[in-house]
Amino acid sequence: MLARWGVPGLGHVDLRRRSEKYLGENNVHLLGEETINDNNRRFFEACRTLGYRVEQFPVNVKGCQGSGLCNLGCPNAAKQGTHRVQLPAAEAAGVEVVTNCKVERIGERDCLATVTNPPFGEPSHWPEGRYRIRARAIVVAAGAVNSPALLLRSQLPARLPALGRYFTAHPALILVGEHDRPISNFYGHPKSYYCDHFVESAKFLLETCMYFPFTTAKNLIGFGAEHARLMSRMDRMQMILVLAVDPALAENRIAVDAAGDPVVHYRFTDEVMDALIESQRVAARIFFAAGCTRVHAPAGTGFFIGANEADRLEELITREAFKLGKVSISSAHLMGGCRMGTDPATSVTDAWGQVHGVPWLFVADASLFPMCSEINPYVTIMALADRVAERVRTRLPGLPAA
Amino acid sequence: MAGRSNARVPPLSERQWAFLMRVAVRIVPAVADLDAAGRSRFVAIVSKALAERPRPIQHQFGLFLGVLRWAPFLRFGSPFDRLPPEDEDTVLRWFLDAPVAKLRSGFWALRALAFMGYYGQPEVWPSLRYTPSFRGNEMLHG
Repeated sequence: MLARWGVPGLGHVDLRRRSEKYLGENNVHLLGEETINDNNRRFFEACRTLGYRVEQFPVNVKGCQGSGLCNLGCPNAAKQGTHRVQLPAAEAAGVEVVTNCKVERIGERDCLATVTNPPFGEPSHWPEGRYRIRARAIVVAAGAVNSPALLLRSQLPARLPALGRYFTAHPALILVGEHDRPISNFYGHPKSYYCDHFVESAKFLLETCMYFPFTTAKNLIGFGAEHARLMSRMDRMQMILVLAVDPALAENRIAVDAAGDPVVHYRFTDEVMDALIESQRVAARIFFAAGCTRVHAPAGTGFFIGANEADRLEELITREAFKLGKVSISSAHLMGGCRMGTDPATSVTDAWGQVHGVPWLFVADASLFPMCSEINPYVTIMALADRVAERVRTRLPGLPAA
Repeated sequence: MAGRSNARVPPLSERQWAFLMRVAVRIVPAVADLDAAGRSRFVAIVSKALAERPRPIQHQFGLFLGVLRWAPFLRFGSPFDRLPPEDEDTVLRWFLDAPVAKLRSGFWALRALAFMGYYGQPEVWPSLRYTPSFRGNEMLHG
């Protein structure tokens, strides 16, 4: 991936060292075989049967109870995200975290922010109101949509034509196969395996997943009795998440509207559409190899494809049936918009996250990605943020020891 | 994908609500069987989702409901809500695959809201044989 990114000064050895630090801190490890449910195990075995490369996901959990509700926020506080590991450590070291505080604009070594206290979330310990906060350095980490938007709203003393551009999204589909009897799927960790066999040849990844009723219903094509019948047997569902490895294009970008709110401009290329179609055929082969009797494909010419039709997937899953606006395509991971590089004409920051021409301003999140990652980006984001932290400390030698 | 919401303005009129509920029954047949509490939860979920959308999106959605109501007049000589159920389904299938992307998107939004209003209620999950547990690993091993 780093070779593809081609950012001078951003090397594999350095990124790996920093990644390993966070893999340790956040307790990233492989789950034991006894916690793998049928939804995951059958995916793994089917990929092996078909000769597809398949690997187990290391996950950042401690004391996982297998609620399967990870995407809603772990109800058992087992997920070891930055909110449970790095942020508490930073607070213990003297960092002040201000909740419900929205930064509106960055000025010359300061920012304008508004604190509100809505009736949800952690109440802010700062009184409601507007603030001007002065700082020796400012690090923006608001994500691939809001970091570029914040910089676009700000009066920066530099010309940054690439700001907001080269946004990528890992366009995603949730695919469903149906077994003729219940399997274990919503009990246990939902995401244990991935298949990157097709990343180079067809530009997509497959991952195990298990979603909630509304999310599942929305991702099925159709409505009425047929749709309801499939939904009424969630305990028979096997699910696969597709992530398309989308190209970084200048025209796919974040802009801001007249009110300063972010607006995403994203066009699906033919390459991405082809990847999403082919991924459905591959996923169908996996479902059938895993024992599913029927498969639902958003690009299917009918609601179901039966196991007896498994040799006709090319004609039953077609581009013609796959229409934008009809199919639920979500974004799994938002990346880019403040991409790293050396040329201010085509990038926003240098290889250490410093905004070109603004020595006190840094970016430390997924918006730094020059292109999308070829796998889930969490650890890479943390490793990049670690580099930014090191550079800020170099620039500001008076900071207290870490 | 602008982020400004307009929670204080009612997103739909009473007439639009009645129409939306009629279409929702075609999308999720079990909506017809919801009791008063279930219907109330349905309305609350959909209202909240709509209220959180930017005002122009709310407006577009209201317009789409109008288009869906009157478009069948061209083929059937009646608005949507005076059609028999099988013709209503024919109309919805046309919108699902409509040649114009904006019409497909409008129907996608309507479908998503109907699914959200029904499948977003934890009370209906057991009927889907979906019964998650905070201690899933224990259930995994019986």
